[in-house]
Amino acid sequence: MKFLVYIGIILFGVACNSSSDNDEYTPIPENKKLEFKIPSNFPDPTYDISLNPPTEKGFELGKKLFYDGRLSSDGVVSCGFCHLQDFAFTHHTHIVSHGVDGALGTRNALPLHNLAFMEEFTWDGAVSHLDQQPIVPITAEVEMNETFASILKKLENEPEYVKLFAEAFTDQKINTENMLKAISQFVVMMISADSKYDKIERNEGSVFTEEEQAGFDLFQSKCASCHKGTLFTDQSYRNNGLPIDPEYNDIGRKRVSGLEEDIYKFKVPTLRNVRLTFPYMHDGRFFTLRQVLDHYSDGMVDHETLDPMFRDTENNVEGIPMTDIEKEQIIAFLETLTDDDYINDNRFSEF
Amino acid sequence: MIKKLTLIILIVCSALFSCKSDDDNEGGTLNLEFNNSIGSEPVVLSDKISYTNGSNESYTITELKYIISNIVLIKKDGQEFVYPVEKSYFLINDEVSDSKKIVLKDIDPAEYSKIKFGFGVDQSKYPLNGVDNFVPTAEEGNMLWSWSAGYIFLKFEGTFTPQGGEVDNFLIHVGSHGTTLDNYKEITVELSEKVSISEKLSPTVSIQANIAKILDGTNTHSLAAKKSIQVDPENAPKIAENVTSMFSVAKVSN
Repeated sequence: MKFLVYIGIILFGVACNSSSDNDEYTPIPENKKLEFKIPSNFPDPTYDISLNPPTEKGFELGKKLFYDGRLSSDGVVSCGFCHLQDFAFTHHTHIVSHGVDGALGTRNALPLHNLAFMEEFTWDGAVSHLDQQPIVPITAEVEMNETFASILKKLENEPEYVKLFAEAFTDQKINTENMLKAISQFVVMMISADSKYDKIERNEGSVFTEEEQAGFDLFQSKCASCHKGTLFTDQSYRNNGLPIDPEYNDIGRKRVSGLEEDIYKFKVPTLRNVRLTFPYMHDGRFFTLRQVLDHYSDGMVDHETLDPMFRDTENNVEGIPMTDIEKEQIIAFLETLTDDDYINDNRFSEF
Repeated sequence: MIKKLTLIILIVCSALFSCKSDDDNEGGTLNLEFNNSIGSEPVVLSDKISYTNGSNESYTITELKYIISNIVLIKKDGQEFVYPVEKSYFLINDEVSDSKKIVLKDIDPAEYSKIKFGFGVDQSKYPLNGVDNFVPTAEEGNMLWSWSAGYIFLKFEGTFTPQGGEVDNFLIHVGSHGTTLDNYKEITVELSEKVSISEKLSPTVSIQANIAKILDGTNTHSLAAKKSIQVDPENAPKIAENVTSMFSVAKVSN
């Protein structure tokens, strides 16, 4: 009799434990949390890490997704296709990003780093939360041209993904939310904060050369009101006087807000790793930093929404007056923002 | 021996049953039906059937879809039963009858007097639990903006003919964009009679959506004046406001 009671207890236990949706019970191996370390010279992150804490498996899954062409309709164009680590995750030398079947986008791929500290995403701020960001390139016809329903189906057929999703998330499910969370876990870990400039800012023993120092001082007075703080952007949208390219006639921020006052305004981009992220501007029209500075000193055209700081007291377009030597000095300073450790960090590399 | 066997069978059976009751919550079921109408007539998607709006324009409807979210049932004493938010996103597509019938399960047994729900997706509260799992549905229904990560809350399209004018197409797409334009709305409808939900009772509430109000609600919108509303910070909020007054409870079947 006692024996039967034991059987009964065991049966109860087993039956109730296996009452999950899956046919088989998948044991969950330990999934360690990763340390999300905020550099001491950085502000607080905008991304709420506590809602999606990066873990070993979540990061591994996010990285796999980031570099997987299955996320596109032609099986080739992954996120990493346009975001190459060697160039601070930009599309090297491509004026505008290339998508499936050779399709051309209309904008230049932005670098990926320090995204946990950004308030809005894309050149016009069309995305207000990092988890949502991949939806844009994945579904855009000229980028990855794929649907989430189709991606989820593809992933469900890959045993490796089934395993990784199960290890990374407690509900073990392959769904859009977990997929986007995994990608976020990968990209929030992508912090670039070890440039020469950082080591100077944190008093870690590095010093500017004379030219860099002169450039830094000029930068402070001429550029830092928009390229502000240690992220080198105030995250605002501004018209910096670029002549309108009739091929795209990109209306910028107006596409998001619908407001006439936002026409031709684009996000002030971060300048970290700027030496590597060419070509420059939302449409990649400038190939060198010198061309960019020449635009600010002499190339601006007037428009109603031109940022007022580029006007003189008589309301004429003044731009940012700079001499040749000053430009060289500013460029010397900008090169101190290159973070070789980040570019070579194996954690983020495809292979 | 037979006694022992019977006992074993009994134990196995009870073990199996115990799981059944584990999965099933004790709550009841509520069926919500959305009926799109113009006045009291059901909407017909066709460019042959025309209606007249408050600006004296005749119009036809060829596409009608909207997103309902964040359903909350309110008891007589004001207490709220919040339907799990991660399951609370629905695309009502006039073309697809199944989409107009929402089945809410595992609801607290009680008497309810009001239903509250959202029009669209509350993007101001990102990250929202489970909202990303609505992406494939929204995508299939073309309810995502192509250039942004946001949802289109309402798609209302058709043709119109202004007084003495030529026939033309109209297109109204309303949603939120980034952080600048928030067109999410909360709507509360009173139940015409109280709804009792229990394990045994699965009532059906028919919600009438008077589509005519999209153009003629608190605000009057003339299609001739503006036939295309997409990313429109002036007109889209007016349409969203009109939507808040288009729902009412037509019938409760306990």
